[in-house]
Amino acid sequence: MERRDYLRAAGATGALGLAGCLGGGGDTETTSTSGTTGTTSGDRTLTVATYQSYVDGEDSPGAWLKEEFEAANDGVTVEWTTPSGGSSSGINEYIQRAKQGAEIDADLYVGLNTGELVRIDEELDDPLFATVTDALSHAGDVKEALTVDPDGRALPYDTGYITPVMDATVLDDVPTTFDDLLDPAYEGDLLAENAQSSDTGEAFLLWSIHEKGPDGYLDYWRDLLDNGVRVLDTWQAAYNAYTKGEAPMVVSYSTAQVYAANNGEDLEKYHLGFLDEQGYANPETAAVFEASDAPDLAASFLDFMLSADAQNVVPQKNYQYPATTTGSLSGNFAKYAQEPADPVTFTYDELAGNVTGWIEDWARLVAQH
Amino acid sequence: MIELDGVEKVYGDATALRGVDLTVQDGEFFTLVGPSGCGKTTTLRAIAGLESLDAGTIRFDGADVTGRPPEDRNVGVVFQEYALFPTMTVRENVAYGLQFDPPEGSVESRVDDLLELVDLAGLGDRSPSELSGGQRQRVALARALAPEPDVLLLDEPLSALDARLRDRLRLEIKRIQRELGLATVYVTHDQAEALAVSDRLAVVNDGRIEQVGDPEAVYENPGTRFVAEFLGENNCLDGRAGAGGETEGSRVRVGDATFAVSGEHDGDVTLCVRPESLYVNASQNRFVARVTDVEFLGEAYRVHFDWNGRRVLARLDHAPEGDVELGFDPAAATVLD
Amino acid sequence: MDRGLGATRRTALSRLGGAAERGYALADRIGAHGAFLATLAVLVVVFYYPVGTVLFTAFTESGRVSLAPLWATLTDPFYFGVLAGALADPAGAPAAVRGWIDAGFPAVRTGLFGWTAYLAVLGTGAAVLVGLPGAYVLARYEFPGRETVRSLTVVPFVLPAIMVAVGFTTMFGTSGALNDVLGLVGLHVNVAFSVPLVVAALTFYNAPLVTRFVVAAADTVDARAVETARTLGAPRWRAFRDVVAPQLLPSFLAAVLLVFVFDFMAFPIVLALGGLRLATVEVWIYSLAGDLRLGEAASLAVLETAITLALTYAYLRYERTEGAARAARIERVPLVGPPTAGRLLAAGYALVALVLYVGPLASMVLESLTRGGHLSAANYAFLLAQQLGTGGTQPTVAVRNSLLFAAGAVALAVPMGVSIAAITNRDGRLARVGGALLMAPLAVSGVVTGIGLLQALVFGVDLFGWHLAVTGPVAIVAAHAVGGYPFVVRNVAPLLARANRDLAAAARTLGAGPARAFRDVTLPFVAPGVVAGAAFAFAISVGEFNATIVLARDPGWYTMPVALERYLSNPSVGPYLGPAAAMGTVLLAVTAASFVVVERLGGRWEP
Repeated sequence: MERRDYLRAAGATGALGLAGCLGGGGDTETTSTSGTTGTTSGDRTLTVATYQSYVDGEDSPGAWLKEEFEAANDGVTVEWTTPSGGSSSGINEYIQRAKQGAEIDADLYVGLNTGELVRIDEELDDPLFATVTDALSHAGDVKEALTVDPDGRALPYDTGYITPVMDATVLDDVPTTFDDLLDPAYEGDLLAENAQSSDTGEAFLLWSIHEKGPDGYLDYWRDLLDNGVRVLDTWQAAYNAYTKGEAPMVVSYSTAQVYAANNGEDLEKYHLGFLDEQGYANPETAAVFEASDAPDLAASFLDFMLSADAQNVVPQKNYQYPATTTGSLSGNFAKYAQEPADPVTFTYDELAGNVTGWIEDWARLVAQH
Repeated sequence: MIELDGVEKVYGDATALRGVDLTVQDGEFFTLVGPSGCGKTTTLRAIAGLESLDAGTIRFDGADVTGRPPEDRNVGVVFQEYALFPTMTVRENVAYGLQFDPPEGSVESRVDDLLELVDLAGLGDRSPSELSGGQRQRVALARALAPEPDVLLLDEPLSALDARLRDRLRLEIKRIQRELGLATVYVTHDQAEALAVSDRLAVVNDGRIEQVGDPEAVYENPGTRFVAEFLGENNCLDGRAGAGGETEGSRVRVGDATFAVSGEHDGDVTLCVRPESLYVNASQNRFVARVTDVEFLGEAYRVHFDWNGRRVLARLDHAPEGDVELGFDPAAATVLD
Repeated sequence: MDRGLGATRRTALSRLGGAAERGYALADRIGAHGAFLATLAVLVVVFYYPVGTVLFTAFTESGRVSLAPLWATLTDPFYFGVLAGALADPAGAPAAVRGWIDAGFPAVRTGLFGWTAYLAVLGTGAAVLVGLPGAYVLARYEFPGRETVRSLTVVPFVLPAIMVAVGFTTMFGTSGALNDVLGLVGLHVNVAFSVPLVVAALTFYNAPLVTRFVVAAADTVDARAVETARTLGAPRWRAFRDVVAPQLLPSFLAAVLLVFVFDFMAFPIVLALGGLRLATVEVWIYSLAGDLRLGEAASLAVLETAITLALTYAYLRYERTEGAARAARIERVPLVGPPTAGRLLAAGYALVALVLYVGPLASMVLESLTRGGHLSAANYAFLLAQQLGTGGTQPTVAVRNSLLFAAGAVALAVPMGVSIAAITNRDGRLARVGGALLMAPLAVSGVVTGIGLLQALVFGVDLFGWHLAVTGPVAIVAAHAVGGYPFVVRNVAPLLARANRDLAAAARTLGAGPARAFRDVTLPFVAPGVVAGAAFAFAISVGEFNATIVLARDPGWYTMPVALERYLSNPSVGPYLGPAAAMGTVLLAVTAASFVVVERLGGRWEP
């Protein structure tokens, strides 16, 4: 029922859209209500906002969640929406809407990291998200170390570890510490990402601040820049360059070998270089919008994301680690994904008031070096 | 009938037309003649409705058309470079205006008649780029006449053609105009052409009409030095007039010489004598001048003289040399106060 | 083309004529001014108001109008280097200069704006170096396919940046096609993420502009002037230098200014191929916007726009409007023939063009046919799977949407552009200033435009108790049209300026109203410009990304560039360029084909 309904709904939207286009009537809407494509009355629609790749295609985690949730909840339709707002961070649009008093038509947001949470709280006076921890049955399953939101609004549904991935077939000695990266032997060998626009970039920067301290990290980066590190805008760009052989090191996820194994590639080319045996933990969270008009349904969806069933597919679909103690690894993921011995992360409180300044100072340094 | 009353037109700082008054009667061939930039084309365009006026009115048969757009004035215009529509054939060009003013009969037969009138029958399917200058001019004429305008306006239609063709076509235009009996305003800078073709003409200078009249009258009795020198050739000299003494008329002193002229004149004047009025072995008003140049015109000689530093031009039937005694009849001179 | 008017045709025509006459009467009443006002209304809603609201925040501080934010930006050495210091403390400037001299002339910090200007100068210089020889070859030589090549010179300009980035990385990367070829002779270039690569990509985009402008100017040079110089004793190169070059100079300068503006504002290319270390002003605005520091972003955008608008104004001064309509054109010489200096240059140029233009595009196509290091149709299979699957991103939908939007954009951009060209077709400073302001979509930051569209159109405004929001296909078409109409104007305006006004006047005296006269007489004359502008607008719409992604709320309205971007970041494929390259190949084919079609279709109009 779910898949057919989805197709029907999609067809209806398409036809409406086309009619609007052909009739020239335009899409001048008046106030839109949440629940965009109503099917029959009595049915409920849950609008979930997230980033594009989460819902792209049949094998995406989004598609799976939608199918399963609709199966378990009669009369409910899950609508994914992917606002890009013209910038790299999807949540920005909702922050702007909240600031301007514009309508927020989504019920949930999936895909926030800690830094974004901090930024939301810095930008807005009124809460954007509702506190739901207490209402969720699976909230207690979340691993202690991954609880990022002291106010219980955003809950982690998966996590990953960021670490440099190195091509051991090209490098004779792989660097094992931060200071190793400054060695002239590795000049121009590292591909990093922009902390302003990329999760991996931000994670790596925060990791370096954790290692070198807020007073020393800029000097460290100055030396790293002198040693020819390249800072690309997105993880995709950096990883593409890495696979093309532009450089033998790239800041990426510790699941790199899973990809390699899935595609039958040489694992030596994807050596995980946990510097000082560390890696930066980057949990992804989801939260319910305060302005949602279906908070109970939204909370129930979030709860579903934390259920054992959903958490078990996280490795296959998200290429990340489950966030709960009930989630288990399987297949290539269990074999090839690695966790660092000493995972490192900044808590919400440590980032509050600091992270924006750190990133800005870092960006200015990089741009004019 | 076309009436212009106090028409003024200003372009930025420059005033193109100042207080222009004129009347063109039905069936009359009226010419505006003057040097470049004098405002004659502007006047024509104003009549056509292609220029807005800053002051004054224009009336067609008593009706005020000052505010009317060109498409509502029923005028036919032939432009200086013909302005034929390059993407249409000759037939299509001529037939264009008939879309807005369909003829009684068929469009095709009307176009045929017009092509016949301008002697271009059989060239209907050509495109303008395939025609010679003279042919294009005739197409422009046919096109302007097709919608049966009340007024025909021609803006230097012959200036782009060679001399022979110009003379011939000038006659053609006149003939057609007479046949159709249209009030016609013709603009040219060529004074010879204006004299040859007009029923009446107006000499225009710097936005003002200097003199209006039929060609002979204006030629023989120019009212201002400008008109005297613009129409035809003229020897105009500054002098001082006084009473004639025992004879009738007056005497004008130019330099060391004194000439007898007809009419009562006094004070500072300009004495104008046309080259054809000067002759050798004259009985009166004699003076000696030295030949500087001789031009053979075929039917006569144009001889340039130097008379005590002044340039004098005479039209003679022979080519003299050296110092020559010239003279003229008092009645042949024009004296301007 | 004799249209003999038979009886039946006439009655049908007279019936149509009634409707047409009413149409023209309506058009006459609306008039050129009315059309312009309608255009302005669309522009205000879709561009000026959205952008204005964003830029305005640069002039407010704590809710009050203030120049403080702008001043803060001007005196920030990160942005303006030593100039900021001089502005902040003019009195201290002489001492600072002396200190600089004493220190032995150390490197001067020029800040972000200085760096951007430097990059733009490099890009412009390279565009001239590559574009001029191309103009020479096209203007001087005749060869089969010359017209098609000329049409295709615009294709690079309108390709979406993400696609070009893909092409350049696959061509010039360490394991790219060029290095494969050079490797055969033991050479290797390492240009990834460096200034040379960025400059090369900028050149890819803009050198064809230089070529096109100069070739168009060369077409209007009067051969008789050259012949006169030769008869007076000048050798051929002197005749060129003294007679032809001065006539080409205005168009050349116009092209240089325009290229500089585009290079100054270049953003996705710099970011993709250079990374954060080569960040320009526009890249920084993008970052600031991503951090929601819109006030600071607006400040930068205001200063950036001031510079680019000034340059656009200067460009309008040099835009070519004269040119004898009946000039005898200089004869072209066959390309194939005995070797001369010119022909050798042409051959050398062909090689450069091959590397710079064909190379990246071909290597992108090659990339699309590669998977795991060997030839494979896997990427196209992926496209097919996407096509047949549900949800996801279907290539045919992307192509269909792109073409639909482009057709709509052209239908809107052409009348808009023509009405603006008609209104600004007069001399004087006011017309030029107005013209520059109307070119604003070219000169204003694309990022800011995106934000403006989001805040104004998507979020909506409250007016008299009504909430108005405009999204979806209509908004996308309008936004594309706004991006394309400046090119219609710039193609039509020079022709309009040269049009013989007597022609329209003649039609008027024969009874045609102003609209009718325009259609029958003026429009055919400017038709080549209209067609060229329409082709531009079409291709720009196809390649447009920023505004589309903001305005396409319904996930079903994706276009080819959007689909490309999705394939780039689709994790189910892994981070391979293959699928994106395949989509890019489709985009390239569709763009090039439609370009040629539009120009050929339009060619029927040329007299």
